[in-house]
Formats: sequence, structure tokens, C-alpha cells
Amino acid sequence: MTTIRLRTLFGKEVLDLLRNRAALLPVALVALISLVLPFTVAVIVPAMTGQPLGDDADLVKVSLVAGIHPELSAGGRIQLFLFQQFLLVFLLMPITGAMALAAHAVVGEKQARTLEPLLATPITTFELLVAKVLGALVPTLMISAAGLAAYFGCVALLAEPGVVRAMISMRTTLLMALVGPAAALVSLQAAIVISSRVNDARTAQQFGVLIIIPLTAVFVAQFTGALWLSATTIGFLGLGLLGVWILLAVFSVVLFEREAILTRWR
Amino acid sequence: MAVDDVTFDVASSEILALVGPNGAGKTTAMRMLAGLIAPTAGSVTIDGVALTQATGSLLRQRIGFLTEAPGLWDRLTVRENLRIYAGLYALAAPERAVDRVVDNFDLADAASSRGAELSKGMRQKVALARALLHDPTILLLDEPTSGLDPEIANSVRRLLDERRAEGCAIVVSTHNLDEAERLADRVAVLQGRLLALDRPAALGRRLTAGRTIVRVGGEAAAHLPTVLAFDAGASAQGSTLVVTMPHAGGSVPALVRALVSAGADVLEVRPEVPALEDVYLHLVRDDSARGDVRG
Repeated sequence: MTTIRLRTLFGKEVLDLLRNRAALLPVALVALISLVLPFTVAVIVPAMTGQPLGDDADLVKVSLVAGIHPELSAGGRIQLFLFQQFLLVFLLMPITGAMALAAHAVVGEKQARTLEPLLATPITTFELLVAKVLGALVPTLMISAAGLAAYFGCVALLAEPGVVRAMISMRTTLLMALVGPAAALVSLQAAIVISSRVNDARTAQQFGVLIIIPLTAVFVAQFTGALWLSATTIGFLGLGLLGVWILLAVFSVVLFEREAILTRWR
Repeated sequence: MAVDDVTFDVASSEILALVGPNGAGKTTAMRMLAGLIAPTAGSVTIDGVALTQATGSLLRQRIGFLTEAPGLWDRLTVRENLRIYAGLYALAAPERAVDRVVDNFDLADAASSRGAELSKGMRQKVALARALLHDPTILLLDEPTSGLDPEIANSVRRLLDERRAEGCAIVVSTHNLDEAERLADRVAVLQGRLLALDRPAALGRRLTAGRTIVRVGGEAAAHLPTVLAFDAGASAQGSTLVVTMPHAGGSVPALVRALVSAGADVLEVRPEVPALEDVYLHLVRDDSARGDVRG
């Protein structure tokens, strides 16, 4: 494997995306909604109705999963719980946002008839597939990272003092820096595999949606308090996902069937 | 099965033209040569190295492949398209290589245009420039002059001549039989299988079975009785007499003497050399007819 070919194709993917910014619009919109929604729930609605979050017994009970945090009031603890939960939206954002890009990655090249000259170059299948995954992931990861920075900034400004400090923990760092990108890599690599096996981009996207379902289930379980993962568990989960990605990347080379792909799609 | 029982070799400094009707397997054969399709049986060997999954990446470095469709990235400019391919071939001086083909193909004015903005001919030109970017020793060109205006098509043919002189082994798939005849050292006629493979002139000789053309002044029909005494199968058309005996055969001088004695002005005596198109049509129709009988 040479990194020059991988970097070149990755650069092409990013350049192509920058010339087609509309493709990134859904990710930017999700980032914006993810910024507005938690503050509407945790800050604006209680302020407008005059009913502090701490008055809701159910919320007080469920917020305990986020830890005791004696330095915070009952309302602050609920804010912490809610803001922690909405962090998961940022975790899902690179996956959902990049899914359409990844699903289109190979089948799109085939439909545009650009795949054949590309396959005629010395680029290996592994380089091709990894460049495609990174080309879909990195731009959306950057948008979600910008959204995340804005999110923490808004929590620092609008939430009860101490909430943002309580949010910055090993658990959050592992979740955002390890589990998020690793889960995205796994999902997008799977989407690329699908993209290389189907006949059109719409089919690839339909299958891609199925990949998001288990991740959404984890998100819902976390939100309802049914599931709360410790920092250690999250660390192992992240490493496990990276391992799965490597296996999947190798597996996707076999499934790609480079020497049959042009005729299989006829 | 697209192609079956097709075997040929191409030497350096040689142009081989693949001709055949639509669906004859020309593109499939080209894709197999480029390592894009694995043959179900048989192999492709380049300088003694079999083209396999393991050797593919290395051998593709030496191959320049012009695909059936230009396959440019529409949102990228001509220069960006070329620059990315220079990176994919891991060229040591990519910018210099891009500048070279931009100059060679007269693409400077279009270098900043996006792929989607180019005409069909210009896209084909850029694709050709891309195939030559890494200075390959093997060129596989699928319909290289398709969609090009005569002037550009002519410059492409000159370029192929130059590459051949530099030692390149070139395989050209084409529907343009005139081009194949003028350009190629050898022609392979394909129709699922290899119908013929030879030099254009040698292919022509196969079809004529040694007929001789005698051109006379005035109407040839007036001299037909003289010729029929030598050859019962002779015919006349306009100022031409077609004699079914070979040009190099012993009776032709006697025939010419007889014609001159009969008062004919003999202007030309030459072996019949049919155009490649006639040979091609003969081979393909003959094979189709045999296929019908087999079917």
C-alpha cells in the first residue's frame, strides 16, 4: 500500500465534495438542529413555562444515572443528564450524514463511468475503499466537530454553572474521540461494501439506513436511562469497533471483486 | 461468453488493431488486457509476467488504458483530473507530467474547464492525455478517435505513430477499418473468437485468392472475348478487366500480349488488393453464416 495513492484519491473525494456543497447541507442542518434542540428542552422551555427542571420527579430520578454531582442543583443535574444524552446526536451525525456519501461512493463512480479508468490505475482495492470511506467521513466529522465545539460553548454560556465542567470527563472524551469515529468507520465501511455490490445508489442508501438502526437503538436506550456505559466500557467498545473496522476493511476488499465488478453491474 | 479462444501477442514498436462488429468482444478483450476483468480461462502475460491479482498493481503502472467512455470527473477541472491520475500513478514529478500532456494535446485553453463543460471530442482528448500521462510502454486504446474531428483524429494517429517509434506496444480497438488499415501493423478480426490475425495486405490476399486487375483504355467489355480465351471466369466493368488467375502466374504475360495484339491499350496490370473493409465483411459474414448453420 502506498499512502500517496490513498491521499490522492482522498483529496479527490474532498475536492469533489467541496464542489458539491449541497451534499453536505443535510449534515450541517442536523448539526444546527442538534444545537438548538437540547437548549430548547433544557433551558428555553423551563424558562418560558416557569417550571424548573428540578420539579419533575421522573427527570430527577432518571438523571441519577449521570452520577451524583453534589456541586450541582437538582435542575443542574437534569441539565447535565440531558446535555450528556444529546451528545449522542453528535456521535451519530458523522454516520448519518456520511451514509449517503458512502453509499454513493462506488456505485456513483460506476454510473458516471469513472470507475473503469480508476480501476485501470495501480491503485489497490484496499487503497480505493479506504480512501472512499475517509472521503465520506472526514468532511462530516469536521462539521460535527465544529458543531460539538459550539455545543460545549453554548452549554458553558447557557446552562447552570458547573454543568460544562461536569460534562468534560474521560467518558465524554472517549465517546466523542474514539467511539464516534470508530462507529462511523464501521458503518461507512459497511456502506461502501453495499455500494460495491448493488446496481444503483438508491438501493445502497436503502441498505445504509439499516446500518443506522442498531446505533439508534443504543441512543434510545441511553436516553431513557435503560443503558449507561462506564468510561472503561466505552474505551473497550471504541477499541472493539476499530478492530471490527479493520476486519471489515479487509473483508470489503474480498467482497469488492475488482475483476468482476465492471461486468457484474451490466 | 464474450470472447473464446482468442490468442495473440503484441511486440514493442507494434500496433495491433482489434476490429469486429458490436458485441464482438473487443472491449472485453481490452479490459482483460488491462487486468480489469479476469478471464475464466487463459491468461495475459506482459514481458513474461502473468497478469494476476498479485501482479496487477505493478503491471498496471506500465499500461495506459483509454476506456470506451472518457470517464472524467465532471466537477473537477481538466488539470485537476490529470493531477489526480498523476498521483494515482505515484509519479515523481506530477506537475511536470501534467504540463507535458497539456502541451502535447494542446489542452492549455481547456485546463481550467470542468469535465462537464467539455465537448465530446475534448473529453476524449483529455482521456487520451490521461492514458499517456505516466509514459506507459503498453497502450490499450478503445476507440481512440471516436468523436474526434478529422484534424484531431489525424493528430492522434500521428501520436500513435510516434509512440510506436518510441517502442510502445499498442492495441487499438476500432470500428474505423480505414484507420486500422493505415495505422496497424497487424489486424485481428474478432467476433467472439479470433477470425483472422495478420498484416492488412496479407488479409487482403486471403480474400482475393489471387485475382488480377487489368486496366485498359476505353471500354473493357470490347476486349472481354480475348480474355475469355485465357480465363472463362473473367469479367469486365468500365475500363477494368478482372481475371481470376494470379498476377504472378505464367499466363498473365501471354494474356497481356494477346490484348496488345488485339489493339488494347493496357494501362495497368496489378494483383487485386481489396480494402480491409471487404476482407472484414467477408470474414464476419462468413462466420455468421457458419454460426447460423451450427445453430
